Amino acid sequence: MDFEFPKEFDVIIVGTGVIESILSAAASRVGKRVLHIDENEYYGGQWASFNLEAIMKLKNSQKERIANKSDSNFLSFGNDLFNIKNIDYKFHVLPKKNKVCSEEKDKEVVDNNLQEVSQDDNEETWDEELLIKTSRKFNIDLCPKLQYARGNFVELLISSNIARYSEYRSVTRILTWLNNHLEPLPCSRSDVFANTRVSVVEKRMLMKLLTSLNDEEKETQNYESKTFKEFLTDKKLTSNLVHYVLYGISTSSDHTQCKEGIQKAKRFLNSLGRFGKTPFLFSMYGSGEIPQAFCRLSAVFGGIFALGQPIEGFALNDEKFKSLTVRSQTIKAEHLVMGIENLPKQFIKSKKHDYISRCILITNKSVLDCEKEQLTLIFYPPENNKSFTTIIELGYLTGTCPNNVYLVHLIAKQDTSPQEDFKHIIDKLFINSYHEMAENNHDKPHILWSYYCSINDSNDVELTEDLPKNIFVCPGPDLDLDYDFSVTKAKKIFNAMYPDLEFLPRAPDPEEIIIGDDEITEEAKEITEEAKEITEEAKEITEEAKEITEEAKEITKEMTEEAKEITEEAEETTENEINDVKNEKQETISEERQHTVE
Amino acid sequence: MAKTYDYLFKLLLIGDSGVGKTCILFRFSEDAFNTTFISTIGIDFKIRTIDLDGKKIKLQIWDTAGQERFRTITTAYYRGAMGIMLVYDITNEKSFENIKNWIRNIEENASADVEKMLLGNKCELEEKRQVSKERGEQLAIEYGIKFIETSAKASIRVEEAFYTLARDIKAKMEKKLVSKLYTPRGGHQLKASELQKKPTSWLSRCTIL
Repeated sequence: MDFEFPKEFDVIIVGTGVIESILSAAASRVGKRVLHIDENEYYGGQWASFNLEAIMKLKNSQKERIANKSDSNFLSFGNDLFNIKNIDYKFHVLPKKNKVCSEEKDKEVVDNNLQEVSQDDNEETWDEELLIKTSRKFNIDLCPKLQYARGNFVELLISSNIARYSEYRSVTRILTWLNNHLEPLPCSRSDVFANTRVSVVEKRMLMKLLTSLNDEEKETQNYESKTFKEFLTDKKLTSNLVHYVLYGISTSSDHTQCKEGIQKAKRFLNSLGRFGKTPFLFSMYGSGEIPQAFCRLSAVFGGIFALGQPIEGFALNDEKFKSLTVRSQTIKAEHLVMGIENLPKQFIKSKKHDYISRCILITNKSVLDCEKEQLTLIFYPPENNKSFTTIIELGYLTGTCPNNVYLVHLIAKQDTSPQEDFKHIIDKLFINSYHEMAENNHDKPHILWSYYCSINDSNDVELTEDLPKNIFVCPGPDLDLDYDFSVTKAKKIFNAMYPDLEFLPRAPDPEEIIIGDDEITEEAKEITEEAKEITEEAKEITEEAKEITEEAKEITKEMTEEAKEITEEAEETTENEINDVKNEKQETISEERQHTVE
Repeated sequence: MAKTYDYLFKLLLIGDSGVGKTCILFRFSEDAFNTTFISTIGIDFKIRTIDLDGKKIKLQIWDTAGQERFRTITTAYYRGAMGIMLVYDITNEKSFENIKNWIRNIEENASADVEKMLLGNKCELEEKRQVSKERGEQLAIEYGIKFIETSAKASIRVEEAFYTLARDIKAKMEKKLVSKLYTPRGGHQLKASELQKKPTSWLSRCTIL
């Protein structure tokens, strides 16, 4: 690529994670000049979605970056603290079926997608080769998220008009592990009625409790320092109900504070009935679409994007960020925003790091078979010192996997290792190995492929005090189910950079946009019109002047003529007078003569 | 609100910077031409509804928003696209050579059965031509797609190009292949209007229990 970036921007953003991308859109939207770059060839960093081949190519550790300049004012990007760790994946199917069969498969896949869909129906035919062949149909999230239908994130998508860049599906059912099996969490009114495991008395108790949660202050008076679990137990709820409310509706753990638990429960209940039966939405084609949607808006408003950039580092001046060096080009900006994985190590204060345990499975059927394809959320409560685990099961309709397989995400706070953390769940819900599969156990889904890794939870990472004031750091993925924390964080950084500007005002719809050039033409037209008028006026004035001149001429002429006449008259008069005098004289003379004669 | 169209097609414009994608978009959607666009700022997509064999077809045509410049088009741009106009500039050899890269990009990101078409734009600049019409035709044959030379400036065959692409998509849809085409559809588009919907949370009416 032979190109140069402009030499100066208002803000440079390094990294295309969710928070960085929201900020990019927000700055660009209010007219700031944004340069948004990423070292990766793809959008989203650790928030990205990958196809099957790409996720297996992710590396445990990235190349370590060593400052090649001795200048203390020049800092290299990046640290090795926030890399993905413990990556471990394997296929649980045969590498290849017998030859005849695989040739057939080749044909199907290559032929065209339409046929492939129907021929995938035979679920026994999945092998490694076929999974790899359909690699592009997978959109596998490192950090899958669900959105509360009335959460901050969804409200922001709608109010900023960024919602048009992505599509969503509602979670169709929520399950929980209770009494040694999966059962639906009653989260809507009809669910409660339909639930045969809940007695009539329990139904009344549950309704009463949920209604009373709205009256938060009164309820929590005596629970300032107590847990939500204590609060629920004191309400004399049955253990089943405590389970539903604690691990389900409030997505809390045993240690969640009462106030927080109530707030979480309220958020859940408020989001019901907006888009579907459950409060949650999943973005089609994976959560990795989200940062891209914000980047698109940023680009529409003039943000310049470049991926796969070898970023050398940045220079400080007077303890402030001055410029960034990329492709040996130095680019200045007022502010620098970066993902935490790009921050030089020296600015990170925290010694302890929390990790998120992740497990991703491809399975041959749903954990709880149903006629229609379901988008399932499972709350798996803490068990034998194992953390609370969130499980999301995605099907073909979400655009994240091919037909007839399911993509299962497990997410939990890491205790020991991802494998250890999820073993109890995997054993209960799935058939683990290929050998077991042969044992004719058709109840549980078979695992076709598994992937484990650890991701840093950087929400609470503390930074050092000497971080330059015009550098802003965005945390990476977190354990939250949704992006609400990311929205809050992005807003905070935006307000620190631009305290007087509005955060993501509604972007106009295409039909409302008047192209700037049209405005200029319009203006030019007006000016021409004005000029014309002026010319016209000038013409009129000239004409008038002409008339006046003509008039003046005429007047002069008239006057000259008059003067002439007067002169002539005068001359005549003089002559006459002379004649008169002469005559008088002659008369006098003749009179005198007469006198003398007399 | 009643639907004012029979079909909605999402179309994309793809090609190097400066080949005239935005001009083609404006020629088709507004019948206007302006040479002063520096790059594509503030333009998301344009809509024009056309009539094909008695069917009203709403064409939603998306522009690249300048993200083609450093090859950073989001994968999200390709989602749900039914037709793609691949555009090069007949006075710019490089833009023609890059069509192959763009096709690779499409294969990686767009649905496999997206309808494609090749456009050689700026055909009014005959005296500056670097890419012969034959080479354009040849490349189109290679990829099994249709080819037209257009001029957004002189308004030559731009309409024809979009009508052709739309007709081909419509024909494909009417072969009843639609349900399997363009991979899963039917997600929610979150709309502002839904904000006004009264919350139907069961909390608000659970008092009868």
